Amino acid sequence: MRYAGMQLLLDDIKSDLSVAQAVPAMTTDGRCMRCGQKQAVTLPIGWRYCPVCVNLGRVVEGQSLFRFEAPRFPPTASLTWQGELTHAQQQASAELCASVKAQREHLLWAVTGAGKTEMLFPAIAQLLNKGGRVGVAAPRIDVVRELAPRLAQAFAHTPMAVRYGGAPWPKQDVQLTVLTTHQLLRYYHCFDLLVIDEVDAFPFAHDAALMYAAQHAVIGSMVWLSATPDQKLLQQGRRGKIGLSTLPRRFHGYPLPVPKLAWVKKVHLPQQLPQPLLDQLKKLVTTHRVLLFVPDIDWLRPIVKALRRQLNVAVQSVHAQDEAREAKVLAFRAGEIQVMVTTTILERGVTIHRCAVVVLSADSPRFGHDALIQMAGRAGRAADSPDDPVWFYVQHYTRDLQVAITTIEQLNHMKAG
Amino acid sequence: MACVLCGQPIQIEWTLTKIFTLTKVRAPHLCRACLRQFTRIDQANACPGCGRADSPTLCYDCQRWQKAGYPLLHHRAVFQYDGAMKSFIQQYKGLGDWRLHVAFQDLIQPPKSTYVPIPTEAGHYQARGFDPVLGLFDHLSLHQWLEKADTPVPQAQKNRAGRLMTPQSFSVRPLVSLAQISQITLLDDLYTTGRTLYHAADALREAGFHGTITSFSLIR
Ligand SMILES: [Zn+2]
Ligand SMILES: [Zn+2]
Ligand SMILES: [Zn+2]
Repeated sequence: MRYAGMQLLLDDIKSDLSVAQAVPAMTTDGRCMRCGQKQAVTLPIGWRYCPVCVNLGRVVEGQSLFRFEAPRFPPTASLTWQGELTHAQQQASAELCASVKAQREHLLWAVTGAGKTEMLFPAIAQLLNKGGRVGVAAPRIDVVRELAPRLAQAFAHTPMAVRYGGAPWPKQDVQLTVLTTHQLLRYYHCFDLLVIDEVDAFPFAHDAALMYAAQHAVIGSMVWLSATPDQKLLQQGRRGKIGLSTLPRRFHGYPLPVPKLAWVKKVHLPQQLPQPLLDQLKKLVTTHRVLLFVPDIDWLRPIVKALRRQLNVAVQSVHAQDEAREAKVLAFRAGEIQVMVTTTILERGVTIHRCAVVVLSADSPRFGHDALIQMAGRAGRAADSPDDPVWFYVQHYTRDLQVAITTIEQLNHMKAG
Repeated sequence: MACVLCGQPIQIEWTLTKIFTLTKVRAPHLCRACLRQFTRIDQANACPGCGRADSPTLCYDCQRWQKAGYPLLHHRAVFQYDGAMKSFIQQYKGLGDWRLHVAFQDLIQPPKSTYVPIPTEAGHYQARGFDPVLGLFDHLSLHQWLEKADTPVPQAQKNRAGRLMTPQSFSVRPLVSLAQISQITLLDDLYTTGRTLYHAADALREAGFHGTITSFSLIR
């Protein structure tokens, strides 16, 4: 049954309708049964629809949501991954397996570059072997695209589907689903294990509909992964309400590069770049590729123009909606672009060798402490250059800067466990 | 105020002109980042007949309408039909996200006229729960004088030749008196071949209207 574990609108369904259970898509008091939100908008014709999850097809009052059962698969030996975990990874992985076995929530707090995905494999295998269903979800489509091939390789014989907006529908029932958190809205009581990567990232963080979707998509245990978990989740872990594993070290064992602060006057940005910044960049490009983060998409063009004039290297820019984004990121990884000016964190799981990070206007309100930690985490990921430089250019010392830098320092002093 | 596309709060830039001019300023419904995705048509370089971008002289299509004996509609449109606009239309008309009807209202300010919207087929209204054209322009005073008979194939599913062959399906509602009116501006969401709007203009003339007819759309 190709729709096992899903909840769909009539328009989505091409077969198997008779085995589905129909429930009203909206309650009489205007709550959407797919996303759980009560923000119904009345159409001029008089009926209401849910605007919150409208991108997955419109939930309209009076219509049905069709829910499909999620039967178990036969037991198998699912893990085909041959790699080995480091000692610290092994310990976190064992804690995770214990939580999954006890069907309780677990937070895996691992710095960027700690090798989170590999640590999941034993817990995922544990459930797949028993015939259970596993979902691995991430807020951003790039992360989903990056996780999918690694999971497909680690569980080579397990039927797997990748789900994101615009991806083709699965033709058959699958045991392992890699999906955007948005697509979780289409699942109901499906996953025996649901892993949510980057819980702290947009659009999942602070999105009530997606949180509701995650909680209703799972029937077993939920695992949260984060490099920068919010205080609420951490508190729950520290108080023992949910399982907690901490991985403060990258897989290569070196500490995280600590950002250094440099002061600049911002008045003429982005039209005029301060000389100390230009000098720093000139120095960096002789040894490193540089990721230059800026707070505003309007800054990209003038800064790229200025840098092309000032530096004798290939400079490009990329932003979240950039159509050439994938190609540009590839070119940057391949070393064809030396300086990438960007407003977005790019693919988080990707390792770029010898990559320095410069954040211009790191004191901008657009950069929260979690974003600052993520940006700094782009540097030093490879074992051959764990101490890539990270520079924050600021005019004021903000609370977010302070939290970001002290968190990184704390992680560096922490022991795994 | 939150942006109707991304939900982020909108910062209104109070320029001196906005503060000192006495014209009514409508609050924007899109944030800067969302609005920037759309491409405005430079009116100074648009086709005087159909509002097509980058065609300062009368374009070939308009010359054909003229040769076929149609008085030109001197159409104006605000935005180009590019990728961003296609996905807007997909969310608004395709998914039926009614919230978006206000998205461009602060930018839709056609010259003063009597505004007559192009009507939607009854079947589409039933399925969508709203009329997308009325929605886009419901900040203006509209006169729903035209009606449309249901057609077998929707305009959107036809190619250019198919669209141009579409037979007349508009008529002026009974009891509408056009005698006192000197100018009408037809309103539509999208100008593709012009066939729809020229049919609507024909229907008004057949009903005895002798004034000027122009047209306006969000997209060209
Ligand atoms: Zn909903
Ligand atoms: Zn917006
Ligand atoms: Zn023209």
